[in-house]
Amino acid sequence: MTIRLTIDGTSIEAREGQTILEVAREHGIRIPTLCYHKDLTPTGNCRMCLVEVTRQRFLQAACVTQVWDGMEIETGNEKVRRARKLSLELMLANHPQDCITCDVSGECELQDLAYEYQVCVPGWGAKGKRYPVDPDPNPFIRVDMNRCILCRRCVLACAEVQGRDVWGVAGRGIEECIVAGAGVHLLEARCESCGQCVAYCPTGALSNKMNYGVARAHQVRRVTTTCAYCGVGCQFDLLVKGNQVIGVSSNPDSPVNGMALCVKGRYGYDYIHHPDRLLKPKVRRYLLDGKPKPTGNRKSSSANREWVEVDWDTALDITARRLRQARDTHGPDSVGILTSAKCTNEENYLMNKFARQVVRTNNIDHCARL
Amino acid sequence: MTNRKITHQPIDPQVEELVAGYGQDREAVLEVLKDLDRRGQLTPATATDTARAMGIPAHQAYGMATFYSMLAFEPRRNILRVCDGPVCWLKRATAASGLETIEKWSAAVEGSWSVERSSCLGLCDRAPAVLVNEEQAGPLTAAEAGRVCQGWRGVPTDYASPRPGEVRALLSNAGKIDPDSIESALAHGAYRGLKAALQKKPEEVIAEIEASGLQGRGGAGFPVGRKWKFVAAAERTPRYMICNADESEPLIFKDRVLIDSDPHQLLEGMAIGGYACGAEEGWIYIRGEYPAQATRLERSIAQAEEKGCLGENLFGSGFSFRVHVHRGAGAYICGEETALIESLEGKRGEPRLRPPYPPSCGFRGQPTSVNNVESFAAVPSILRNGAEWWKGLGPTPGTKLYMILGHVRSSGLFEAPFGLTLRQIIDQFGGGLLPGSEFKFALTGGAAGTIIGPDLLDVPLDYSSTQKGISLGAGAFLVCDQRVSVVGMLRELLHFFATESCGKCTPCRVGTWRAHEILVRMAAGEGRPGDVAELEALSENMLLASFCGLGQSVPIPINSALHHFAAEFAAAEKAQ
Repeated sequence: MTIRLTIDGTSIEAREGQTILEVAREHGIRIPTLCYHKDLTPTGNCRMCLVEVTRQRFLQAACVTQVWDGMEIETGNEKVRRARKLSLELMLANHPQDCITCDVSGECELQDLAYEYQVCVPGWGAKGKRYPVDPDPNPFIRVDMNRCILCRRCVLACAEVQGRDVWGVAGRGIEECIVAGAGVHLLEARCESCGQCVAYCPTGALSNKMNYGVARAHQVRRVTTTCAYCGVGCQFDLLVKGNQVIGVSSNPDSPVNGMALCVKGRYGYDYIHHPDRLLKPKVRRYLLDGKPKPTGNRKSSSANREWVEVDWDTALDITARRLRQARDTHGPDSVGILTSAKCTNEENYLMNKFARQVVRTNNIDHCARL
Repeated sequence: MTNRKITHQPIDPQVEELVAGYGQDREAVLEVLKDLDRRGQLTPATATDTARAMGIPAHQAYGMATFYSMLAFEPRRNILRVCDGPVCWLKRATAASGLETIEKWSAAVEGSWSVERSSCLGLCDRAPAVLVNEEQAGPLTAAEAGRVCQGWRGVPTDYASPRPGEVRALLSNAGKIDPDSIESALAHGAYRGLKAALQKKPEEVIAEIEASGLQGRGGAGFPVGRKWKFVAAAERTPRYMICNADESEPLIFKDRVLIDSDPHQLLEGMAIGGYACGAEEGWIYIRGEYPAQATRLERSIAQAEEKGCLGENLFGSGFSFRVHVHRGAGAYICGEETALIESLEGKRGEPRLRPPYPPSCGFRGQPTSVNNVESFAAVPSILRNGAEWWKGLGPTPGTKLYMILGHVRSSGLFEAPFGLTLRQIIDQFGGGLLPGSEFKFALTGGAAGTIIGPDLLDVPLDYSSTQKGISLGAGAFLVCDQRVSVVGMLRELLHFFATESCGKCTPCRVGTWRAHEILVRMAAGEGRPGDVAELEALSENMLLASFCGLGQSVPIPINSALHHFAAEFAAAEKAQ
């Protein structure tokens, strides 16, 4: 059902069941958020998205309050801004003043809002670090709970996106903190290091260990690409500094996977610049020279067996020739084809056609795993 | 970078057995954790095993073990919990801080005893109070620690005989019946209200309650009949009745007295509510600091089921109603109805988003009515005597339990109609101020009530008097004389709220803590210019921006104290 409401004096049409935040965003009205993320169940914890609704005694959290017909909303009046500003100050009170060395400075949602509202860490806050820095031996995820503002996005991301339920909330009041399992290390708490929690963390509490301190947001170029690991086709952004890929970042607009990635996609990027990585095809010397496969011991024939870098056409020509030879000499069933989960469905389909209709063998299989 | 090998460990068979004892019930997490705690076996590892045995995330069990204040990972043989509430603070002659008191007790008890702090034990009429394992005790000071270890429990308060001027409806059986004997209760009319209700249609019962004008006694005064109407109108079944006996607010102990004096009255009220709302199951969520009352209720339920007053097919009506007792483990926030429901479902007691409200989506996502002990206790007599009788008891329908505490001659609890003024409460029912005492201020309603000066002594009290600046709340009044510092009292209150804040939302989690920090300084003579302005700003933020009623009500004592005692705060601010 369509209803009418007023946001900041403008009459707006909305659908019943929508939240104030959803309606505002649809109409390009910005309401600041911290604990809210479109992928996660809204909780209304951080109180940044508070707005004033006429005839309501308390300010309402836009992320969880549903609109009603005739609702009148003010998203940025003096009272609202004052409440947001003090809430930010209270959040910053237990937050270290270490933006200068923090990895996420420049892409930190807390920092952006503190800047927008011109809030500093209050003089009475910042009583030193309450938690050890980087205490978790997880090889990919760096934990610094001093920077945590208890928005619980990591808890929800782990539970709702990844379905692992590693992160949780412990303690009470000012002692409340985010813990893995029963206060243990991530891997002991069944973590599979997907890094979803890092992707959803609005601050530097959870960050990536492999590239910590390597580059700031403004120093990297983002290159959107498709993951090479499997056929799902997840997209993400490669973070490129100079000419080096230094990390992977979720791209929320990815059609297949959204923010989600697996441990390989998110953290398995170090092969890119690895010296052992093959960038061009190689063939054995004897194949290139059109000679038969050398017999005898390997030492005496090593010159013929050595790998020679060639261009793609040469490599493919040799492969095609040798496959045809094998088929014609020994029959189609002398050829077997093993395809890969790294290929897409379409590529695997084509290999099936190739095996059965070109080579004319049923010897085709799939590794079905990475 | 070291990668430790994670090996599979089998679940501790003892934990597995415990969990199996509760039928693998995922709502029984708190029960299992409490059992483990009692055995001295509660550790992060056994909490994890509990979670594994139940098929829930490890963080849930660990999060609960660290949320409820009565649970601890250190094994303890005998636990002595010292009340650190404002009434006990006031009662201690030396006005020592809670920390000093706990140190004193720790030094004085025998070796096998562990001393712990409790935010409030609900024994304000026995202040200063302690909880000795499962036994309530007081009034007691650390000087008597030796005797306490030997079994001395102080002197319990007796509510058998009414004070002059009392009008007893809910307490009519107090002292007349043996609370542990259903025969005795039946001889005094127990379950007659239920029988009367079962003669009517459920909607007629609701109409009767609505006509009586009974307002919820938890403090907000929401009409009970209207709430039940919502639940009864909800289409989904099963529906549930929940009794909120998590009476954790300092100054308030009326529910404890009601349960101790006439437990069947509460059970009967719940059964009537169940019949009216179409609910066949009820839970009493009772705070962990009331073990004796929880046991009494369990005993009463067993007796009532034996007599056919609870259970299947009550009095041949075809209506069945069962009541379960759920013990909390130390969390004020669980008095907030949605936090209570979360806790009942085996989670951390954090408030839920509202709407949806419990009448449409409560316990297990089903329509649920959450009512206070005093509300349920009022129901049987209304069914027995009629709505008109209840309405005729006073200017606002019915009677109210009042708790008068502090510097009066005769502190304790009494029952009277609405419309009393604080002056009447002090002089007529409290026996007047103590010799040498002059009225300086009172905390009214409860810890989240108003701090008022002498100018509001003559305001007649009901649920609307909050608008005049004095709240009735749950009916408690802490009277303080000229010796008590308002700044000190507010510090105690904020200490309570800061330790009991659940931590979910920022304004309450950090705001209470910061306000307490300022007040500690001010009370210690180290105030600084700007302190009052900061308190005001924090107060506004907690009021406007907090997630639930806990944070939203903390500003009530702060604002009223700042308003009525501006000069005292201004002086404290300039102390340095």
